[in-house]
Amino acid sequence: MIDERLFEEFRTIGRDILVTGLTSSHGGNMSVRVGDKIIIKRRGAQLGQLKPTDFVETSLYGRDSGIARASTELIVHRAIYHNTSALAVIHSHPRTAIALSLSRDEIIPIDVEGSYLLRKIPVVSVEFASGSTQMADTVSAALKQYKIIMQRGHGCFSTGQTLEEAYHWISTLEEISDIILEHKLLGEPLIEYRKHSESYKKW
Amino acid sequence: MHGWAGKILDVDLSNGRIETRPLDPQIARQFLGGRGLGARLLWDLVGPEVAPLSPENALIFTMGPITASASQTSNRFNVSSKSPLTGTILHANSGGWWGMQFKRTGHDALIVRGKADKPTWIEITAAGVVLKDASDLWGKSVFETTEALGQNRNKRNVLCIGPAGENLVKIAAIMNDKERALARGGPGAVMGSKNLKAIVVEGSERNQPADKEAFKFMQYETGKLIKASPLTSKALPDFGTAVVVNIVNEIGAFPTRNFQQSQFDGADEISGEAITEKILVKNQACWACPISCTRISKTASGKEGEGPEFETTWAFGAQCGIDDLDAITEANFLCNDMGLDTISMGNIIGCAMELAERGLLDSDLRFGQADKLQNLIRATAYRDGLGDEMAEGSYRMAEKHGAPELSMTAKKLELPAYDPRGMQGQGLVFATGNRGACHEEGNMLGPEVLALPRLIDRFATQGKAGIVSVHQNSAAVIDSLVYCKFANMAVAEEFFARTLTAVTGQPFSADDLMRVGERVWNLERLYNLREGFTKEDDTLPDRLINDPIAEGPSAGFTVKLAPMLQEYYQFRGWNEDGVPKPEKLKELELEGLEIGD
Repeated sequence: MIDERLFEEFRTIGRDILVTGLTSSHGGNMSVRVGDKIIIKRRGAQLGQLKPTDFVETSLYGRDSGIARASTELIVHRAIYHNTSALAVIHSHPRTAIALSLSRDEIIPIDVEGSYLLRKIPVVSVEFASGSTQMADTVSAALKQYKIIMQRGHGCFSTGQTLEEAYHWISTLEEISDIILEHKLLGEPLIEYRKHSESYKKW
Repeated sequence: MHGWAGKILDVDLSNGRIETRPLDPQIARQFLGGRGLGARLLWDLVGPEVAPLSPENALIFTMGPITASASQTSNRFNVSSKSPLTGTILHANSGGWWGMQFKRTGHDALIVRGKADKPTWIEITAAGVVLKDASDLWGKSVFETTEALGQNRNKRNVLCIGPAGENLVKIAAIMNDKERALARGGPGAVMGSKNLKAIVVEGSERNQPADKEAFKFMQYETGKLIKASPLTSKALPDFGTAVVVNIVNEIGAFPTRNFQQSQFDGADEISGEAITEKILVKNQACWACPISCTRISKTASGKEGEGPEFETTWAFGAQCGIDDLDAITEANFLCNDMGLDTISMGNIIGCAMELAERGLLDSDLRFGQADKLQNLIRATAYRDGLGDEMAEGSYRMAEKHGAPELSMTAKKLELPAYDPRGMQGQGLVFATGNRGACHEEGNMLGPEVLALPRLIDRFATQGKAGIVSVHQNSAAVIDSLVYCKFANMAVAEEFFARTLTAVTGQPFSADDLMRVGERVWNLERLYNLREGFTKEDDTLPDRLINDPIAEGPSAGFTVKLAPMLQEYYQFRGWNEDGVPKPEKLKELELEGLEIGD
């Protein structure tokens, strides 16, 4: 089962996601790949209050009883591990990014940090927006090209070699989104300062 | 050409036959070039019945689709063969100019097989491919040979062996552009066994990007990241790779006196800072590289040359208990001139020092004897006295004296400059390495020490197998493109994929590249299994598994190999014997390459 060092990583990242407002008290989920298994947060556990018993170990490939307690999005996590080289996955509900996803097909940063780190975050749409095969296929396909993607109106899926890396991309996405929103609220024209920034649309 | 030239040059030295044949586009897409293409060609050409130093072994030089494209660090190339030191698959890569120049001759690879009846060198120019008599070059050092054959930085480039390769020393390197090395596993001995002294190239073709605008954008974005990283823009140019001497020493993972300790009290004297302060003349870059990590150094006696790099500094320094920077640097120069792998050479000397101190070797050799280095290196290159034993590698030498456990090797390849008891992931890298213990096959220095891309717990084991596997796959694809791994410290695979797309005109994602890396890793594993290697060979010296580090920041730790190895096999989709499962081979499009029962 989960060892002390790995649990500590889950606990601190879960708490940080909650306190930085990147999801609601019971929203979101996280997992890491260990060998041919996934260690994933159990369904309904609060990200900010994680305990060692809040984790489920389940097979990456086969069927086992772990799925009864695992997060609703287990099917998506599995598809991501099958189809990409990700070792950690976080799903959360960053609110400004969700707001932007309702009216655009991609989020392109206008700030320096966001441009350096992500360049473009695609927005995908699925009819059955939680735990569906369609969602698993769509999200995992998009993550072959990008480290983090938005699902319209729902939230983001972020990947990394570690939970910390996946958390970094979510935090960056929300900062990018906040800046876009606040700049839009100012209502002033953008003065472009980045060479080749037009190419980010093709990223 | 856009990425691939589409041609393989095939030279049989036994009968002088020279052929050009097409590169299979499907193999190019699946294995890219470099290490991947080398492994794929070797699989067909060199089976388990072939002895490494026999004419039937092949020496395969492979460039990548990126090579010579002018993308940052696109100068590197690879050599593949069967190793005379380890018996495993051998791959080694090098920078400089030769790889770029060879690609400009309009070929993706050069296969050399057979054995010439007299010393020979090969000249490849626009006028054609010619085999020439090297009788007057045989016996000459690397520096003498390079000069005699007209090395001219960007126009004519020389690759050759020195006396070590001629004398079939099992740690002999192939040297290019005078002081760059294809070193690990003894490729120089394979070249020597073929009576092949040198390969000289002059090319004029260009590797032009298929999508010039996209290529220009990727060069710009890549350049920004290299400049933004303090490692690639500051630390490596200012201090060279030895910038990590003090860092690795501080965490208690700097192997000292043949891995008997993990911190060296003379580290300050041999650090990157000391090199810059005491002996640095200038730094130098390989072709198309903005990083410039190469040191041009000059010792107090007036000797000048390239080096020392981090690994070399460790090998002749902490590993031998020596803190004399001039002696280390001159040992480096001599290895370059003789054509020797500095990591193995220093590791072997450290092993001999411990054997002698324990009374197992009849010698007055002791740790700290800087004045012995030159004679020991020369003796190894010429197989003279104790040097003849050292030329067989650390394992065979220690075994001869009844103490193979004092050989710090895995699969008979000498360990590099990290004590894995203080870096658990690095221990798994060494134990599972396809060419033996080597950091270049998936260096965990980045995540376990330098926080690249993120700092992970260096003592943790759960979940470590996945990170190691991803790093191994990443290293395999970078070696196949071929890029420099230092660029990868600032630039992620995603950028390499987009640049590859721009160069070739074929779409590649980061995940496509990682899949290529996994395919290459599994093919190399299959090769070793076909050679008779088993899970029992995925191990480390007893000292690292059973003897805890006595003091310092890593005190109390051994390598917890067994649980990591089990998790590793599971992660890789291998069975409990470490054999890739049929479904994994199918997934990687490696069906038909299964080994027999």
